[in-house]
Amino acid sequence: MESNGQKHITVDPITRLEGHGKIDIFLDDKGDVERAYFQVPELRGFEVFSLGRPAEDMPQITSRICGVCPTAHHMASTKALDHLYHVEPPRPARLVRELVYNAFMLEDHALHVYVLGGPDFIVGPEAPAAERNILGVIGKVGLEVGQRVIATRRRVRELITHVAGKVIHPVFGLPGGVSKGLSPDDVPGFKQLAKDGLDFAQFTLQVFKDIVLANREYVELIKSDAYTHKTYYMGLVDEKNQPNFYDGDIRVVDPNGKEFAKFKEVQYLDHIAEHVEPWSYVKFCYLKNVGWKGFKGGIDDGVYSVAPLARLNVADAMATPIAQEAFLEYEAALGPRPIHHTLANHWARVIEMVYAAERLVEIMDDPEVASDNLRVIPTATPDKGIGVVEAPRGTLFHHFETDPNGILTLVNLIVATQNNSARMAMSVETAAKALIHGFDVSEGLLNKVEMAFRAYDPCHACATHSMPGQMPLVVRLHGSDGTLLEEIKR
Amino acid sequence: MKDRTLVLGLGNDLLGDDGVGLTVARVVESRHQQRDVDVVESGEAGLALLEIIDGYRRVVIVDAIQTGQVEAGTVMIYGPEDFRRVVAPSAHYSGLPEVLELGARIGCDMPRDLKVVAIEIADPLHFSTELTEKVAHAIEEAVSKVLGLLGEPALQAR
Repeated sequence: MESNGQKHITVDPITRLEGHGKIDIFLDDKGDVERAYFQVPELRGFEVFSLGRPAEDMPQITSRICGVCPTAHHMASTKALDHLYHVEPPRPARLVRELVYNAFMLEDHALHVYVLGGPDFIVGPEAPAAERNILGVIGKVGLEVGQRVIATRRRVRELITHVAGKVIHPVFGLPGGVSKGLSPDDVPGFKQLAKDGLDFAQFTLQVFKDIVLANREYVELIKSDAYTHKTYYMGLVDEKNQPNFYDGDIRVVDPNGKEFAKFKEVQYLDHIAEHVEPWSYVKFCYLKNVGWKGFKGGIDDGVYSVAPLARLNVADAMATPIAQEAFLEYEAALGPRPIHHTLANHWARVIEMVYAAERLVEIMDDPEVASDNLRVIPTATPDKGIGVVEAPRGTLFHHFETDPNGILTLVNLIVATQNNSARMAMSVETAAKALIHGFDVSEGLLNKVEMAFRAYDPCHACATHSMPGQMPLVVRLHGSDGTLLEEIKR
Repeated sequence: MKDRTLVLGLGNDLLGDDGVGLTVARVVESRHQQRDVDVVESGEAGLALLEIIDGYRRVVIVDAIQTGQVEAGTVMIYGPEDFRRVVAPSAHYSGLPEVLELGARIGCDMPRDLKVVAIEIADPLHFSTELTEKVAHAIEEAVSKVLGLLGEPALQAR
């Protein structure tokens, strides 16, 4: 490379975001793990940035926070605006929102299954890290699968763009409805796409079964203690306690699977509190009515989890038939529920792909899907609005308060990864404890740690770049007196 | 294959310096005088990049980078040979090298010529729509480098 024609430096992935993704492990006198701390970069200043702006801008602003889940932020903000302006969208508008949202969930989950986390399993947990990616996946399951992944994702994204505008700058959700719906001419093409999406989701479920579930070692790994934490779980459910990504009540079950709470989004602050640790910027969410006990897990500790595993743990059933069949099979293999195995997130994610695709088919068959009754114009004075959706990575809250002119006076976002942060820290510590004994660090520490947090599909630094994409993970081992013994970088 | 060139600005315009690639792309769009050049801005990651670059003969990406090894505002040019293929633990870290190789393997039209004009940045972690001073000063140089790669003499600021 060149730099003003003079200087030569190398591009090291580790330096892409210097100093982030740090794990500090503290050993006791015997050289066993006393505590492990996992730190990730946090974006700062969003509230200050937003205050004084019109609340109406928030669906556009929040969708730009993140290049990965713009649609989730757009939808959570839009729903918060409905609430802020005291307006209920007409049914066809709700259908179109759900259509776009489930299309987004399908393509985002597909990305994780084939490209990001899934390769750990499809290629194999013992395969070299460099092969555990989409290239390894197509090496194992065939080139045409790769082509199908790309082609299906592209078509689903075209649907989103057709209705909602550019993925990263959607102009779609408005308080009380949507700016654009489907025309009757769109319906046949999108019906076909929904059916093809369902084929693709079912095909993915089969790939997962053939490769992962047929392999006893993989199943043992999923069930192993190193990847198991008994915590509370949270997710959105409909009136039959079936998961719904777009809307519903927030349901929490305890580590035994018993319903602990069920509440509306407006009550979220009665249930969720944030704990601050001196070693991390990240605020750890916990259940207020259980209390913070310090990463212990179990029924007395308010640590909870969100995302696919959690959503299936709070469910009594799935809302669509093929997903329900897959859900029963999942429960029979790993249950009884709640299933506490972090790596089961991968399987749960595939079942959710099937649900999202079936829901797309249902919506496209709805006679109102191409209606032009798309908006109720708000007339009430805005004051306070809270919106919630299930983002691919878990429950996402947007909370806005404004003056009577709709100018923001309070903004609070709880993103999925924040809900999961305490359980993620527990996963890192468990891996460290399993692999470090008597000052001896086993091979594969980084790999084990990474597999644990990759299952959560974490969302850490919300920006996208062309440079080498590796998470700059650094593990530092400290002796009982705090001195640095060893630094492991990837 | 489209016999066209793509200038692709990447980044997040809400995260201060992180959006410099988008700003540079916008200036390039207003200045370049070639008919076969498209300028696109994107805040998306990973596979979405494949969909954007698929079919272009030549691609110039403009992006923020944080090597920590040079002054903020330093403008550098990389080629694909500078990338190392890596595993991405999250969508936020899926990188271009993987995307390029994947595209080639599954039969997409990958560019024959690809360069990244990278601007070293100071702070990508605070919400702001402003660039820090050194990074703002680097815009002209980055624009010149992009135009240079497009085969145009660097135009004077107007």
